[in-house]
Order: sequence, then structure tokens, then C-alpha cells
Amino acid sequence: MLILRESSYIYVRNLKTWLAQPTMIVAAVFSSAVMYLFFGEPLRGITGLPGFPASDYQAFLTAMVIVMAVVFSGSDMAMVLLTDIMSGYVDKLLLSPVNRFSILLGTLAIGATRAIAQVVAIVLVATAIGVRFEGGIVGILAVIVATTLLGIAMGCVGLIIAVRTRSVQVTVNSWLLFMPLAFLTSAFMPRDLITGWFQFAVGLNPIEYILVAVRTIIIDGWIWEHIVPGFWVLLGTSAVLVAAATYEYRRATN
Amino acid sequence: MQHPPAVAVRGLEKTYPGGTRAIDGIDFTVEQGEFFGFLGPNGAGKTTTIKILATLLPKSAGRVEVAGIDIDRDARGVRASIGVALQEVGLDDLSKGRDFLVLQGRLYGVGRAEANRRADELLELVGLSGVGKRKIGSYSGGMRRRIDLAGALMHEPGILFLDEPTSGLDPQSRLAIWEHLEQLNAQGVTVMLTTQHMDEADRLCRRLAIIDHGRLVTEGSPSALKAGVGGDVVRVSFGHMESPDGRTDAALGALRQLPAVREADTTPDGLTATVDDGGTAAPAILRALNDVEVPVANLAVTRPSLDDVFLHHTGREIREADADEDAESRVWGQWMGVNRR
Ligand SMILES: Nc1ncnc2c1ncn2[C@@H]1O[C@H](COP(=O)(O)OP(=O)(O)O)[C@@H](O)[C@H]1O
Ligand SMILES: [Mg+2]
Repeated sequence: MLILRESSYIYVRNLKTWLAQPTMIVAAVFSSAVMYLFFGEPLRGITGLPGFPASDYQAFLTAMVIVMAVVFSGSDMAMVLLTDIMSGYVDKLLLSPVNRFSILLGTLAIGATRAIAQVVAIVLVATAIGVRFEGGIVGILAVIVATTLLGIAMGCVGLIIAVRTRSVQVTVNSWLLFMPLAFLTSAFMPRDLITGWFQFAVGLNPIEYILVAVRTIIIDGWIWEHIVPGFWVLLGTSAVLVAAATYEYRRATN
Repeated sequence: MQHPPAVAVRGLEKTYPGGTRAIDGIDFTVEQGEFFGFLGPNGAGKTTTIKILATLLPKSAGRVEVAGIDIDRDARGVRASIGVALQEVGLDDLSKGRDFLVLQGRLYGVGRAEANRRADELLELVGLSGVGKRKIGSYSGGMRRRIDLAGALMHEPGILFLDEPTSGLDPQSRLAIWEHLEQLNAQGVTVMLTTQHMDEADRLCRRLAIIDHGRLVTEGSPSALKAGVGGDVVRVSFGHMESPDGRTDAALGALRQLPAVREADTTPDGLTATVDDGGTAAPAILRALNDVEVPVANLAVTRPSLDDVFLHHTGREIREADADEDAESRVWGQWMGVNRR
């Protein structure tokens, strides 16, 4: 199919661009490692609290590290895209007879690739430090698929930010926007142990449901009532964001 | 059927969302194989026109056909038949020069082997063979223009749109690009180029249109345009004089009485006169000035330049000074305009 071939050219180019920016990759890996170290050690004691579901806090944390890494990648995606807009390279692509949709596909596929690379790296590190994945190999694959979809969704958010604002200032600081998505969750503490307005806010955050599903697969295995809501939320959120990004993109390139 | 013109524009209008009327109803045609120039000062509407013809920017009204294809009917067909180098080169700084070219070819449907072959050929043509493996981010301004031009040629388009292809370049790079363009045109490629430099238009374009405030003020070959301004221009300077004012008036009066002089005016250090034929008018002018006892330090006869053409049609001098001034500052608003329509 022509669209697939065209998007593959754009994808390969985007991939090269990404790999040509080692700082971005190092920062992504480094931030994951930092989260393990900074949160893992000091908070180890928490697992002793009554009602805490996992005895191994590192395992509990792994889900959070995976989801956060992918959520924050949306901000990187926005920056990469904005660079192409500002340099006029996107215009160059739009001047070619390539289908508009191929350009979009080649861009979002990078969001997926980044997510896969990050998740695989984190899973390897987690395994190395002794985290056991209760869901088994299938569980790991499910986590990879889920976070890939999340990576695409966050890429869409990045695209919308870049296209809408076309501002370096806003885009550089857009990780702030991803903060509440990442932190208004039960990332550090199960929801039952959280109270008040925080608990309410966590309940509204779609990322929370995805996080719970991923964490369940990692530390408990296939407990469907904790996984199914996350599955639907992920599917719904991704669908909405892909549609919104496509709309923004069409509006901007017609 | 006859060859359709390379470009046919009828009643083209463009109003930007802020209300700026960038193109105010223009018509022109570029025949196949022509080297056509769009000459105008900064802000005249050159870039806007090129972007519309290249399908990057929607127009407000009018009809545009490129390579015989209506841009509203089949924008992709138009894109496939043209090569475009915009004023603000759109390059991928992290990519290597040669990779950029190969990808450019692939995006236009050129096969892998062929794209590789052409990339090498074009690197050679634009004198960048030595740096094809270097990242574009490390290129100088002149090299960037040249790799951009090479990128526009990867699919061997029959029509080239070039928006100020030499602005901001040193004289050497300029000359190199001029030579490439002449070579391409000799091979049959239609070239439409915009410029605000008279010398560029004069050297390259067989026909040109002058655009100002979004309207075409005149159109023709450079020599026909100059001939349209009138005959020769005779410039006289007096050198130093004790009381220039009185004598200058006397001199001006004397010139205006000469039948050969169509128009005469004062300049800071002398006079200028428009005449039909400089060869016969010059001696008469010298004699007349001698009669009113005004010493002449220097006299020169010149043909009208394109500057005179521009002045004649717009009443203003084309301001070369702000040539490349606001190119950068606008790049922000241009792409993906929420307010582009
Ligand atoms: N994106 C834009 N939004 C609003 N006005 C614009 C935009 N681009 C150009 N203009 C205005 O349109 C007019 C023509 O600009 P342009 O086509 O760039 O001229 P030129 O290329 O001849 O210098 C100018 O008045 C310019 O300020
Ligand atoms: Mg311009």
C-alpha cells in the first residue's frame, strides 16, 4: 500500500532524527532509573502498611515508572514536531505529493516506537533488580502493547500542543501539563490508602485506570476486574486523542 | 492539443486572516520552457503567490492552473509536477545532506537506486559532493540554499518555483546558482523565480512581471520594459561651484529649451535629462550649458535600468536595503496557520 510505504519513509526519517538526539534518549532512560532509586529506596517501608497490596515496592513502582516515562514522552514529541514546523521541514513534506495521512502516521508511529523502547528497557532493568512479573511473558507483552497505545495517545497530545501553540516556550514547558496526569494517580500509594480531594482527582484521571491495569498485570497477574476498566479507558482515550490530533492536523494542513 | 501553459493565473486574490490583502487580483501566464521573473520589493506578495501556486497556501479567489492541472481539482498532481524552493529553506538539520536528497526523491516516488544515483549527480551539480555525508546543520547559508535547490530537483520536475533563491548569499554562491538555473532552463525546465534584485532579474529572466502591493504593474522582457521608460538618460555633474543655485536654474532652463530633451531635472550635484538618443543630444547639451557659462565636470549617457523601470511604474525606488530583513521574523506564523486562511 502506498500510504504504508510513504509513512515508512517518514517514519525512518523521524527515527533517525530521534536517534540523532542522544540527550533525549539518555534523559528518558535516566529519569526512569532515578525514579527507581529515589522513590524505591526511601519508600520501601510503605509496603509494611496494612492494606498495601504488594510486599515488593520495586514491583509496585515498576508500573508507575513505565506509565510515567510514556506519559512524559508526549512533551518530547511536541518539541520534536515543533522543531520540524519551525525549520520549515514540515512545509517541505507538505509540498511533496505524499498523502497528508502518511505524514501523520509516520509521526505517530514514532510515539509508539519510543514507548516500546522505553518499556522494554524498563522491563529489562526491573528484571535485573529482581522484580517478578506475575502476568508472565504474556503479561509483559500485554503491558508493552498497552503502553505503546498510550505512547501513540501521548504523541497525539504532543502534536496538538505543537500545532496549536507553535510556541517554543509553551512546548518546552509542556511537561508541566503532563505532571498532573502522571502524579494524580495511585503511583506511589494504592487508592484505598489515599483520601480526600486527592482521591477524587485520582478517580477522574484516565491515566490512573491504565496504571492500575498495568500494575495489576505486573504484581498480581490476571485479575480481570482491575484490568478491564483500564483496557476500556485506554482504548477510549486513544481513540479520542487520535481523532483530535487528526482533526487538528487536517485543519492545519489543508 | 497544444501544450498547456506551465502556469496560468486568472484573477488571483489572497487576503490573510488579519485582513492583509496580499494579492489583489493578478493575472499572468508562464509558457513552457520560459524563464519567468517576479520582481518586486519586500512585502509585494511574491512569496504568497509562490506558496499558492505550490498548493501550500489556500487562495481567496481566482483560478490557477499549473502544468495544465487546476490546483483545486488535483493538488497532488500539481505537487508531483513541480519543484519548489521556498524563501525560507525547509531543511532537516539532523539529516545528512545526501540522505535528505534521497528521501526527497523517495517521497516523490523515485525508486531507491535511481534516487541514490540522482542524489550523487545533484550533489555534484550544486558543488556539494564533498559534504554529502555531513549533517545539514553544519552547512553554511550558501550550502543550505544549494542543497535545498538540489532537493527540489530530485524528481526532475518540468517546472521550478524559486522564491528569492539567492537572497542573503555571497556574490560567488549567487553566481553559482544563476549558472545552475540557466543550465536547467537550457535543458527545457520552466523556471519561475521571484527576486527583489534588479541585476538578477535582468540577467536571468527572459520575461518578467513587476509586482507591487499585490498587483502586477507591468510585464515584458527586460529590454522591452526599459525601452518603455523612454530613450537614454544623460547625467551631468557640475563639480564645485560658488553659487550653485542660480546657475543650476539657468542650466535647467537652457536644457528644457532644447528640442532633443524630453524631460530634465536637478540632482544633488547637477542635472539629469531624458532624451531620445544620447549620442546626438549630449553635444547639444554641452553647447547649451557652455552658452549659459555653467562648467561641466562630468557627463554620462546611460540606458534606463530596471530601477528606472520600477521608478517609472510605481513612483518609488525599490528598496534593496531591507532585502532580507523580515524573512526570519515571519516564519513563526506561517505554517499550520490557525489564522492562515
Ligand atoms: N502569514 C501571514 N499572515 C498575515 N500576513 C502575511 C502573512 N505572510 C505575509 N503576509 C503579508 O502579506 C503581504 C505580502 O507578503 P509576501 O507575500 O511575503 O511578500 P514578498 O514575498 O513579496 O516579500 C505582506 O504585507 C505581508 O506582511
Ligand atoms: Mg518573500
